[in-house]
Amino acid sequence: MRGVSPGHPDKERHLVHDDLRSFLAAIQSTGDLVDIDDEVDWDQELAGIGRLGCERGAPACRFNNVKDYPGWRIMCNPIATWRRMAVAFGLPADSPVPKLYETYAAREQQLVPPVKVKTGACKEVVIPGDRVDLFDLPVPMVHEGDGGRYLGTWDLVVSQDLKSNWVNWGMYRFMVHNERLLTGFPRPTSHLGKMLLDGYVPEGRPMPIAIAIGCDPLSHLAAAATFRIAGNEADLAGGLRQAPVELVKCETSELYVPASAEMVIEAEVYPDRVNQEGPYGEYPGYRSGEMGNAICARVTAITHRRDPILTLDTTGFMDSSATSTSISGAIAIQRRLEANGVPVKAVYVPPEGGVHLAIVSVRKGGAETARKVIDVLTVRRALISKVIVVDVDVDVFNMAAVLHAFATKCHPARGMHVTSYVGRANTLTPAYTQEERVSRSGASVAFDATWPPDWAADATPVRATLDSMYSPEIQRRVLERWKALGL
Amino acid sequence: MSNEYETFARDPQRLLSGREVVLTLRDLTPGRRKYRGVSVRAVVSRPPRPGEPRLWIRSVVGNRDPQPCSVRIVEALPEAFAAVPYSDFFQAMERAERR
Repeated sequence: MRGVSPGHPDKERHLVHDDLRSFLAAIQSTGDLVDIDDEVDWDQELAGIGRLGCERGAPACRFNNVKDYPGWRIMCNPIATWRRMAVAFGLPADSPVPKLYETYAAREQQLVPPVKVKTGACKEVVIPGDRVDLFDLPVPMVHEGDGGRYLGTWDLVVSQDLKSNWVNWGMYRFMVHNERLLTGFPRPTSHLGKMLLDGYVPEGRPMPIAIAIGCDPLSHLAAAATFRIAGNEADLAGGLRQAPVELVKCETSELYVPASAEMVIEAEVYPDRVNQEGPYGEYPGYRSGEMGNAICARVTAITHRRDPILTLDTTGFMDSSATSTSISGAIAIQRRLEANGVPVKAVYVPPEGGVHLAIVSVRKGGAETARKVIDVLTVRRALISKVIVVDVDVDVFNMAAVLHAFATKCHPARGMHVTSYVGRANTLTPAYTQEERVSRSGASVAFDATWPPDWAADATPVRATLDSMYSPEIQRRVLERWKALGL
Repeated sequence: MSNEYETFARDPQRLLSGREVVLTLRDLTPGRRKYRGVSVRAVVSRPPRPGEPRLWIRSVVGNRDPQPCSVRIVEALPEAFAAVPYSDFFQAMERAERR
């Protein structure tokens, strides 16, 4: 762990975690990590504990005694709470959510390219492909009824465009099929999917990938982020960390991975093979039956630390995406709306919405704005299917105020603006039928909870709250007397 | 060979037709290799036939049919099916079945 240079644009001094272990020490000191030394079964029991932890907002767990796998450790749900995300940013654990949004948005603007190093901790043990056995790793069975054991739940998958220098980091799930075969579900609309389908498949070439597990938390946050096409998430990770990520070359490809990773699984995606992947209980909080639509990769090498810690996100309601994908998704939405001329003030993706709902406040509302919001957000792919557009006086982080605006200001007939699409829907959206999943068909809707801009001010309803329906003098007196009145 | 497997099916009736079908099985033998996948050509029977490994069928959302089957493995197949990435896996298995 190290401090940020005093000259950095951020006014506050933060601590940067160079690896998973530094982060674990930090969340242990804030009471946000529990060590579990009793034996726990990798087959559902371990993930069941993690799952309940997500649902209860409990501390993260480090399992030090995994059945059938003596000596291995598994760390569960790295940044599934705002407290742990705050620590990952180097902020006090009790930092308010808007502060985390503000921090992400500021650092995202200051990209820091990675640096290459000759070696790193992830190279302490090197297992060549012909000696790889994925069953030597304590890969958990996450939920009863999943298609198999999932290795990539909190990972950082590196791939490179065949025709350019674009390197993608993504967080994609991977399932163990046998000793060397993985199947995975980076969606076809993902950046990895685009690289594969546009570059390697037409040429019939296998695509090298590297699945890095147990890196520093902000590198994983960058991998999970909604980032622009042709943008290198390694630069984003450096920005979020305010320090470059150190990268080391893979053993069997030209890809580079974070040197401090706990483990790296190098593989090649077949351009002409498939096998079963899924079903899997996913971040929207359901197992939706999206199986039969995936990629297939053969492991070419594994490297890891001498005593590696595997990381696991017990996906489902309020998993790590509730903070990680939400915050990066919200900032990406804000940037995209700004770039397209929408008068946006703030965006919030509430964790409880399973990354399917966004709250957008705008300086000028009305049907035209709401329609533009939904059109802009569904141009290439549509991960979020519901957007509530509110006026600028509604605090997007205050869900009571948002719900009030939605319930009262959204016209039940004219307030919904729907757009339908084929080929770019989120196949994990539980509301879709199996047929819609297969064809990637879906729809998104904007709920316009703003006042129509053509309504005259003297005919627009006035909100019956202290800050809207009382004079400044009365407001001041009420606030001044509040405590003295015993309230 | 294991004593117990599970498989995932979009159309369970295809598996229960009594003819040879192509499917991917998950080995349920307890231990480090539990849930290992294997692609096979096999005949599925319900009710289960004596002496054959037990087979459980799960739906595409992972729900297990409580009625057990048995499976007679005719042939082990290559570990993956020929198809471009993101192809429908169930259709790829049906194509392999016709070969």
